[in-house]
Formats: sequence, C-alpha cells, structure tokens
Amino acid sequence: MSLVRDWTHHFKWLLRSSTLRLTALLSLIFALGFVVAIFVALTLGQRAIERRMDGTLATIAQGVEVEDEGVTSAEVILRPLENLSALPEPFRRAVARGGGTVDLDDDLMGSDIWRVMVSQDSDDEPIMVAVPLEDSSEVQDLLAGILWTTAGIVIFATLAIGAWAGFLAQRRLKRITTTLGHLAAGDLTARTGHRRLRDDLDDIAQNLDQTAADIERLVTQTRNLSASIAHDLRTPLARLHAQLEMLPEGEERAAALEEADRLAGIFDTIMRVARIEAGQGRDGFEQIALEALLGDLAETFGPVVEDAGKSLALDISDAAMVLGDRGMLVQALANLIQNSIIHGGDQITLFAHGRAFGVCDNGVGVDPQQFDEILKPMVRLDAARSTQGSGLGLALVRAVSDRHGAALEVSANEPSGLRVAMRFTEL
Amino acid sequence: MRILLLEDDKQLGPWIAGGLREEGHVVDHFEDGKEALIAAMGQEFDLLILDRMVPSLDGLTVLKSLRASKNVTPALFLTALGEVDARVEGFDAGGDDYLTKPFAFAELSARVNALGRRRDTGEGVEAAKTELRYGDLTLDLLSRKCERQGQEIELMAKEFKLLEYLMRRPGRLVTRTMLLEQVWDMSFDPTTSVVETHISRLRAKIDKPFDTALLRTRRGEGYVFGA
Repeated sequence: MSLVRDWTHHFKWLLRSSTLRLTALLSLIFALGFVVAIFVALTLGQRAIERRMDGTLATIAQGVEVEDEGVTSAEVILRPLENLSALPEPFRRAVARGGGTVDLDDDLMGSDIWRVMVSQDSDDEPIMVAVPLEDSSEVQDLLAGILWTTAGIVIFATLAIGAWAGFLAQRRLKRITTTLGHLAAGDLTARTGHRRLRDDLDDIAQNLDQTAADIERLVTQTRNLSASIAHDLRTPLARLHAQLEMLPEGEERAAALEEADRLAGIFDTIMRVARIEAGQGRDGFEQIALEALLGDLAETFGPVVEDAGKSLALDISDAAMVLGDRGMLVQALANLIQNSIIHGGDQITLFAHGRAFGVCDNGVGVDPQQFDEILKPMVRLDAARSTQGSGLGLALVRAVSDRHGAALEVSANEPSGLRVAMRFTEL
Repeated sequence: MRILLLEDDKQLGPWIAGGLREEGHVVDHFEDGKEALIAAMGQEFDLLILDRMVPSLDGLTVLKSLRASKNVTPALFLTALGEVDARVEGFDAGGDDYLTKPFAFAELSARVNALGRRRDTGEGVEAAKTELRYGDLTLDLLSRKCERQGQEIELMAKEFKLLEYLMRRPGRLVTRTMLLEQVWDMSFDPTTSVVETHISRLRAKIDKPFDTALLRTRRGEGYVFGA
C-alpha cells in the first residue's frame, strides 16, 4: 500500500513540474501537426495517383474499340455505356457520377477497388473504362503505416525526453525546496550544493546559497555578540556575588545578596527573551498534549496559588496536541500565572480549548486600550508600578508565542478580569 | 575529594578554590585550558570544575578531549553563558552538571558533593533500588506508596518525586535550583515560590504528624533530608 502511495505521490510530484507540462504541451502540438501533415500527404498522394490513373484510363480508352460485351479482365474492364448491367451496382453509380473510385464489398477479378472513368473509344463511342487500384492502395497503406509508426515513435520519444527533462528539473527544484525547508526549520547550514550548469535554476540555487550563507553569518555574529554580552555582564555579577558572600553574615548581607540575585534574574530574563526572539526553526520542538501540560502546571502551581490566598482551576475542552518547545511553554504559562497571582483576581483559571490555551483571572483586568501596551517589554501599567516584577513577563510570553507562530490574544475575561491566550495555528 | 578547577577570573578562581579547600577538598587550580587538559590527562581527579570561556582552550573542548580519551571523571561546567542551548552543549560534551554565573557558593558546594557521591556509590546501583528507606520512613517506588511509622501517607505526584529526590541524597544539601532542575525540569527561575510551597506541603505530610522532623531548611542555602 505504502509503495503505491509512494508512487502516486511521486507521480503527482512529477506532474507539478512546469518543464514536464511544457514538454507535454509541445508534444501535443507536435503530434497534432504530425497527424495533420500525414493526412494531407496521404490525401494529396491519393489525388496524384488518381490523376495519373485517369490519364492512363483515357489513353487506354482511346486506343481500343470496345465491342458490345466489352472486356473484363484482372487488369482492365471496358464496357459501352449501354451495357453496364453485368457489373455490380457501384460501377453504375460511379458512371452516373461521371467517374471516380469504386469500393466493392466483394472482390471482382481479384480486386475490390477500381478506378472508373467515362470516356470515348477510338470510334468516339461513350464507354466506361476501369482499372484495379489494389496495387497503388497497397503502396498507400504501406506509406501510411510507415508515417504513423514514425509519428508514434517520435511522439513517444518526445514525451519520454520531456518527462526525463521534467524529472531532472524537478529534482533540482526539489533540492532548492528542501534547502528552503531546512533553512525555515532553523538549519542554517543547509545549502543546495548547486552544480555550475549556468541556467536559470542554477542562478536561483546560487542566490539561495548566498543568502543562506549571509543569514548564517549574521546569526552567528548575533549569537557571538549575545554570548559576549552575557559573559561580560555575568562575570562581574558573579564577582559581586562572591564579594557579598565574603561579607560577615547579617541582615544587610542577606538583603544585598537578594538584590544581586534579582539583578541576575532580570538579566537572565532579558537574555532569554532576546534568545527566544533571535531563535529560529523548530529545533527542540516536540508534540505536546495540552491537557497533560496544563495538568502538570496545575499540580506545580496550584499550591503556590493557594498559599497566595487564591484558587487555581483547570478549564479544558477538546485540548489538542501542539508542536512546541515544552520548556518555553512552561515558562510562558508560569509567567502568566505569576502575573495573575500578583495583579489578578482570586480565581485563576488555566484553560485549553482546542489549540488555544492560556490563563485568565477574575480581577479588575486591564483597560482594553492598553492591551497592546502591556505586551511591550519593560512596560508596567501605573497600577502595577508599586508591586514587584520587571515588566518582562509578558514580553517573554509574546516572544515564546511568536517563536511558535502562535497568535497571542489579550482580551477581557467574562465577567471581569484579564484573559491571555496563545492560539496555535493548524498544523 | 581531589578537584581540578579551571577558572581564569582572578577573583572568582581563588574564591571557589578557597571555599572548596575550606570544605576539606584538595583543589588544583588552573587558569589556562591547555594546562588543565594536560593535568587532567596525567593525573587522577575525583571531579572537574570547568569554566566555559578561558584562555587557549575553552572548558568545552577540554572536556570533549578528555571524554574522547575515555576519561569519565564527573565534570561540572561553570559558565557565564546561561542559555538553554549552551546548557545542552555542555551536557552533549559529556558534562554532568551545569552551573550559571552568578551563583552562591552553597549552590556550587551542593553540586560538587552530589557529583562526588555519584562517583562513590555508583549511580546504577542507586537508581536500581525499588524501595527507599530512611529511619521509619519508606517510599515504595513501584507501588508509589509512602509510609511512616506504619501509617500510609498520601502524596501528590510532584511531592512523591520531590521526596524521592531528597531520599536519594540523605544528609546532603540540596538547593532550590537543583530541585527546580531535577524535580520540575525547569531551567529557569519561576520567581514564584514553587519549591518552598511544595517543600512545606511535603513537610506537613511527612513531618508534622510525627515527633521527629526529617526535612530541614538551611536558610539561604537549601534543604537537607535526614541526618
């Protein structure tokens, strides 16, 4: 079954080749032309034979004197016009027409095709003269046979060459498409590895490789830059931490260490957001069952929410599987829960409906005009300024959502509160 | 333990080396990757602590070279590169643990002891156990049952995992970050008090109803189970 499907797929893939389609079209036009040409050649050949035959018939007629009973042989039939009754009906009709070709149902003197002419014999008596056309029609058939066979071979060869050319072009195109796919999936080392055929496909492949190389270089530079920023900032933070730890124990030391940890935490989040935003492709992505993911989160964060004097509920219906980075999704949802604990109402809900999932609460919510505003990094609405937080929580959620190609939906919860959802697109 | 430390920072290096020596370890401190590699190849160490970014040869390359020559000494990466893919690189190179700067000394110390112990007991034997027992507390890993003084204790899945992790390290300091990484598989700090909350729930179940407490908090450092 899979082999059949494979081949069907292969065939469909080949049918999509523009080269193949073009060759097929040209072959069709070529075949039509061939057929018309053969018809014309055969018809003209037939006419020429008939004309020459008619000349011969006239010469024969004028060279003989036809008796009443006439002559009937395998080579020629000669009859006075008054005495045609012995001949088959088609002859009489041909005579009535003034001459022409007679096609008999049964052989007459070994031949079923005769050329008939009304002429005059040497006595100027009106006679009918007829000769068999069997030989010339055989030649004609042979010729037709040769022509049709040639046509068949040529058309088949054209189609075969077209299919082969289409296949080759399609294979090169497939390499380009595959490379694009790899690049889109985050493998920046992917190249078409084009050969130098100096045609249009080669140009495209070359351009693609060049662009991929540029992107790879830029990404590497960005990565190195972010690595050196991380190193240059984390090292002094580590020294600070070490120095603080060397201080004598006490309230102030503890407070300073806490502050240093907070600083490191904020820096960590900034780097994380930057890395997620700069990241590409589906590296590390896996199939994740939303129901299980949310169940796990509810177990982890439920007690935390309860200790904050609130309650955490699950609302799951038709939860789908999504392709994603589990760690990132957990972090995004953890941030949303954290946000709800600090700013939201006392009823927090983790929900998953189909491919959309997120967190909502029954608090005072956010002014709809500020929905776009809260997703920006470092933005904290006035009401939130007095509470803790770096203002990076939702920026991280947005980065994670973008990274997954999901739509981040911020809306008012019914009857009150804020609702933030990530809606994954269909696979 | 005999520990090789590769750290080029003039302040952090001596601080780490000094701290570890105070805890009774023997520390060979290097500031250059090549020198560290040569030392690690020629001598026997119980643990390698490697900084990722050091002169001449970075820690990652040092460990890759060692692993290529069948050296299985446990290795802990110290790094200023905290990102997830950098962690993955570290584990791929054969690292056993990964600690991001800045860190508290207690955090490093806890991880050093965890890795050292792993070498002592042989992790395979430890991991193959189907029942963990400490004093009057037993944890059956197959039937997923927990009992203390013959009384059955109902545990949530995460609490069970948390207790299992703690019971496998009796008497050792376990930090909040270690628990987040190992029990919750979170390589980030969820800012909420996930660990503290679950520890206190667990404590309410396994310690509160009984006379002796098994799970103790070491302020600012972490938790110690038993001993």
